[in-house]
Amino acid sequence: MKNKFGILVVLLMLGSLALAQCAPAPEASPVAQEPEMETQEPEAEAQEPGTEAPGEPIKIGFFSPTTGFAAADGTSALQSAQLAASMINEAGGVLGRPLELVTYDDAAAPDQAASIARKLIEQDGVVAGISGSYSGATRAAAPIFQENGVPMISAYAIHPEITKTGDKIFRVGTLATVQGRVGAELIGNVLEAQKVAILTVDNDFGVSLTEGFKQHAETLGLEIVLEEKYPLGETEFRPIIGQIKAANPDAVYATGYYNEAANLVSQAKDEGLEAPIIGQEGYDSPKFIELAGDASEGVIITTDLNRDSEREATKLFLEQYKAKYGEDADMVGASAFDAVQVLAYAIKTAGSTDPEAITQAIAGLKDFEDAASGPFWYYTPEREVVRPVSSQVVKGGEFHLYHEFDDIGLVEAP
Amino acid sequence: MPVLQNLSNAVVLASTYVLMAAGLTMVYGVLKVLHIAHAAVYTVGAFTGLLVFSWLGNFWLALAVAVLVSGVVGVLIYRATYFYMLDAPRTVPLIASIGLFVMLTDLLQKGFLMGPYQMAFPADGAGMPRIETGLFALTPTQVLIVVVTGALMAGVYVLLTRTRIGLGWQAAAMDREMAGAVGINLNRVVALNFFLGSALAGAAGVLVGVYNNSVFATMGDLPSYKAFIIIVLGGMGSLPGVIVASLLLAIIENFLVASVGYVLPRDAIAFLVLIFMLMFRPHGLLGQE
Repeated sequence: MKNKFGILVVLLMLGSLALAQCAPAPEASPVAQEPEMETQEPEAEAQEPGTEAPGEPIKIGFFSPTTGFAAADGTSALQSAQLAASMINEAGGVLGRPLELVTYDDAAAPDQAASIARKLIEQDGVVAGISGSYSGATRAAAPIFQENGVPMISAYAIHPEITKTGDKIFRVGTLATVQGRVGAELIGNVLEAQKVAILTVDNDFGVSLTEGFKQHAETLGLEIVLEEKYPLGETEFRPIIGQIKAANPDAVYATGYYNEAANLVSQAKDEGLEAPIIGQEGYDSPKFIELAGDASEGVIITTDLNRDSEREATKLFLEQYKAKYGEDADMVGASAFDAVQVLAYAIKTAGSTDPEAITQAIAGLKDFEDAASGPFWYYTPEREVVRPVSSQVVKGGEFHLYHEFDDIGLVEAP
Repeated sequence: MPVLQNLSNAVVLASTYVLMAAGLTMVYGVLKVLHIAHAAVYTVGAFTGLLVFSWLGNFWLALAVAVLVSGVVGVLIYRATYFYMLDAPRTVPLIASIGLFVMLTDLLQKGFLMGPYQMAFPADGAGMPRIETGLFALTPTQVLIVVVTGALMAGVYVLLTRTRIGLGWQAAAMDREMAGAVGINLNRVVALNFFLGSALAGAAGVLVGVYNNSVFATMGDLPSYKAFIIIVLGGMGSLPGVIVASLLLAIIENFLVASVGYVLPRDAIAFLVLIFMLMFRPHGLLGQE
């Protein structure tokens, strides 16, 4: 009996350890968990925005996961945001003042993102915030920015609920449902497939992509022959590939991140799956090609970053990132870079660091060319950016332009 | 459903589980310590293997160095921590090992070591043949995993049953104090046990790194709890139990996903199996009551 109890205790401890891996707390962020912060009045802000002396830095809050399972994306986002800030500062800053990024590690954990948001607003006195984190953490931080009247931009978290938080919350990435729709357009109209199998990563990101995909697939008359969800972090796709082969689709729409995707396409090749695998921006990292090797050849994805773009901002970002960090940039990085660019533009246009004026300036943005991930045409009243969505194909170990979707009816958020 | 293909894939998956859990059960057998930081040794092994491989391009050399380095790291961990806790209640080394695991993982994730990104380990099959029959196919990498696991487990079996070290080891597992009283050098037995167990973890890290073609700092998260499930399932401290439990788990996971899909994450399936086991046979499949 005693032994049984001992095993149970151990089991519980391990269970909590497994949970802790989803939200690793150790030495994570410099955020103190101070509950009394919640009760602080907004008047207690360290500095009243807009009243700093000229030449003093303009503080912008930034959080991304630089430890834990999402550290790769978080690091890309952080480095790209810092690159954007240093490029802006080298060019003379904004309103004659340098930009200062106040950065924290949220480990992609919603609870940490929420306390970071409070700290950024109440203690650091930032004039605006950027989430370089995942959907869960971004959704937790958004209401805090909204309540305090401080604008926030979500870089690459693409869950629909984020911008629905309120009029202060914007996005630079393409909304998941729009990207899902573009995926269906790609499979149905560009590849002219009829039967499709859907493989969804079971989290906010994957589920909302698949939702958009299925809506548009229905209007296109695509037949969905198989639909499966798989857990985040899965490495073994062989059994499900057997199912897909049996369903015999013309194409597979598979949501996920580059590590799952790399295993998926490699194993699909091993198991002799003929149907092409169509991905989305989660695959968009040079790491995908590195990990999947030959199996990545011919994989087509929808994404915000067009690496073959002739646009000045895109070329500059790709070159400078490589020069500064010695690695190729990815979509996540481009989005974080763009979020900083949009804020800099908004502060410049507003002519002040007043959060309300910045919000208005972002909402009024038109034909913005300084974004690495393509021109931003305008923001919808729901604060979703409207811009062309690109699809890229892996050819010769690199992403190249496959097709660009610029039909407003397709790429504008519903 | 291609039953044999699924079965052969399950055997490969089971081989990776065996290597992850074998060292853990060996350490538990002798010390009665649940060595969660074992999963960090696994990551160290994968990282070392990758470093040597990208430097020299030889998989076998990389495996050998990784196994040695992991073994040494395991012994160092033992000497630095558990050594001082042998007489403490069993939860003390357990908590220490959890802390150690989290700390080592975070250390490995620093930029000057592994950094945040996944790294490819393109050893392919290290010269192994592709096996192709009408009923199932195995890629060279899959063959490599089964072959190396088989060889290592055979080696461990011989060591445990045919050598003086192995006998001393078994004696210590039965009763540590009594073994000491009859003249077995306990310090040496325990250190060797840690060395070998950790070496197996290192081999597991290298093989899984090659299998998934990716090595990264948080790759130990999976074995940190999966290996534990397996050794409880098999019976704490039982090596044959690890093999039986690994096969059972891999087959259940594989066939469930192949027939009905991911109704539950594979790890949740494993925990469910564990809960049933604890309810009806708490000492595990091959463990002693």
